Amino acid sequence: MSRARSLGLTAIGVMAFTTLGALPFAMAAGAQPAQIKPGQTSPEPRSPQRIYAATCGYCHGANVGPVIMGRHLPQKAIMAFVRKGQGAMPAFRPTEISDTELAALAAWIERAPAVPKEHGQ
Amino acid sequence: MTTVSRREILQASALSAAALGAAALAAPAMASPLDHARMLPEGLPPREFAAAVAELRAIVGQQWVFADADSTLPYTKSLIPDPDHRHVPSGAVAPASVEEVQAILKVANRYRLPLWPISTGKNMGYGMATPASSGQMVLDLKRMNRIIEIDAELGTALVEPGVTYQDLRDYLDANNLPFWLDVPTVGPIVSPVGNTLERGVGYTPYGDHFFMQCGMEVVLADGTLVRTGMGSVPGSTSWQAFKWGYGPYLDGIFTQSNFGVVTKLGFWLMPAPPAYKPFVVQFDEMDDVAKITDTIRPFRMNNLIPNGVLIMGAAYQLAMFHRRADFWTETRQIPDAVVKAEARKRGLGMWNTYFALYGTDEIIAAVEPIVRGAFEAAGGKVLTATEMSDNPWFRHHASLMKGGMTLEEIGIVRWRGTEGGMVAFAPVAPAKGTETRGQTALAKEILAKYDFDYAPAYAVGGRELHHIIFLLYDKGHPAEERKADACVREMITRFAERGWAAYRTGVSTMDLVAQQYGDANRALNARIKHALDPNHILAPGKQGIA
Repeated sequence: MSRARSLGLTAIGVMAFTTLGALPFAMAAGAQPAQIKPGQTSPEPRSPQRIYAATCGYCHGANVGPVIMGRHLPQKAIMAFVRKGQGAMPAFRPTEISDTELAALAAWIERAPAVPKEHGQ
Repeated sequence: MTTVSRREILQASALSAAALGAAALAAPAMASPLDHARMLPEGLPPREFAAAVAELRAIVGQQWVFADADSTLPYTKSLIPDPDHRHVPSGAVAPASVEEVQAILKVANRYRLPLWPISTGKNMGYGMATPASSGQMVLDLKRMNRIIEIDAELGTALVEPGVTYQDLRDYLDANNLPFWLDVPTVGPIVSPVGNTLERGVGYTPYGDHFFMQCGMEVVLADGTLVRTGMGSVPGSTSWQAFKWGYGPYLDGIFTQSNFGVVTKLGFWLMPAPPAYKPFVVQFDEMDDVAKITDTIRPFRMNNLIPNGVLIMGAAYQLAMFHRRADFWTETRQIPDAVVKAEARKRGLGMWNTYFALYGTDEIIAAVEPIVRGAFEAAGGKVLTATEMSDNPWFRHHASLMKGGMTLEEIGIVRWRGTEGGMVAFAPVAPAKGTETRGQTALAKEILAKYDFDYAPAYAVGGRELHHIIFLLYDKGHPAEERKADACVREMITRFAERGWAAYRTGVSTMDLVAQQYGDANRALNARIKHALDPNHILAPGKQGIA
């Protein structure tokens, strides 16, 4: 690696910090930045797509858990799997995925087409 | 591909109509805790339990108390062996604020209701959300999920227990904050608060999570609210900047403990480095663990290798993406020769040591030849993305060592069967080759006696290694579950005879591990406990403290 390029990389890093330091990201303790509110505490239920990407999709279709998209598994079965923790799967509680979110998520998975890039194990 | 069978779907549908229905499909009248025979707190008469539940519902709202067997179901899931069902909660209560926690503790004190706090309850190898003894009510803090403060100049965070690493990653990304997280292997679904309080580790230079922790807020059993370190100073601006505060350092007594309920935790964020380069070093013989240990020790002591290094055994690696039956159908322990051959087919060694260099290209270029030379002199094969970019194991660890979100290692729990089954035994070894060789030999011997495989990961700290031995079994077979329970107890006991004890353990062996630390240690913890929590309502039995 040339000295010029590596200096450039370093400079980018420094610049990023300098710029951020000038922005008002630091907040007083107790202040609330944009809230992250999973579960029922959320003012709006999260979309099935978002929940699938942030939770289910790390295992299902990712070589860890079985593929569930495109198999038209019944909504009620999916809901029970999630709450019970089917087989080797962890259980997810209403404090993590609200009842409203779970019903929508399971209905969405039941209807969903297969995702070609997913693979089971 | 693994399938979900029709039988499972039918069973689940039936379950959903009955068990799940109450919680998820409708909003029926609240089930009474007295409707059916069920697990109750020890010594608490059913009517008093019902009265306590009514008071808890008045505090958090009806839907956030889970006090019948059906709605408690998600809190009972556990992958560790519990053949005699000694870790079944009576229910759960989920507050949304510190004030609600304080109110719940008042009720618990009045009724002597034991509470088992969790943040996300995904402690996979140690019992998930299940308590140290049956009948405790889970205090589920997941709804307390605020990211309270990110200081972009200091690189610090202050969060509540329900925040997951995924939440924090999403927040940093959404706000273009150039920091890396340090995640355990189940980052997306677990909490920095929970993992840090259990003194978990990760794989970047910020891998020792408790070392990087700075300040906490704790609710004591009597409802007193305490902020540790600089947080005790009114108007302090350095709560997340300076760990030690003034006087006795208190944070430690609230980790791996039952002395209080931690409701906020501060910690440091790693500035994203301009350059990053991951490596794997492969060795081909089980006995080579001694050479690896002795080679890596000086680099961790002088910090030329700055991150939480993992020395991954081949069986552990294979179990991430494969099942035992793919390679071996006999009951007895899978032989080293089979593991070695299957690993080799997939571009893996018997031991795979993952480390990384961070900083600038000049720094990495200066350090790489020193480290590479040492490992090659010890007989290791040093590989980088140039050779390994298509290898899924290398990709996984390259992501972990920069704090990437992944759950791929959960795959190991199905090594022996579809129901899963795993318990971790994690003795500490000093970073000396003779010690790791001895621990590996002893673990293999005990596991073989019970027909279990040796699937290890050594997580390298500064001068020690956490030898994380994953006992993988099939929870779908009661006899195997009982055997796994006996095996882990024998490992704890026989390792202790050699002076090796676990740094952390599952809920079923907390008392057994506490015994290894001796009477004086236990008596001191008992005295602190009784002073802070005279009714013993907080997590009795955690870490062997009643």
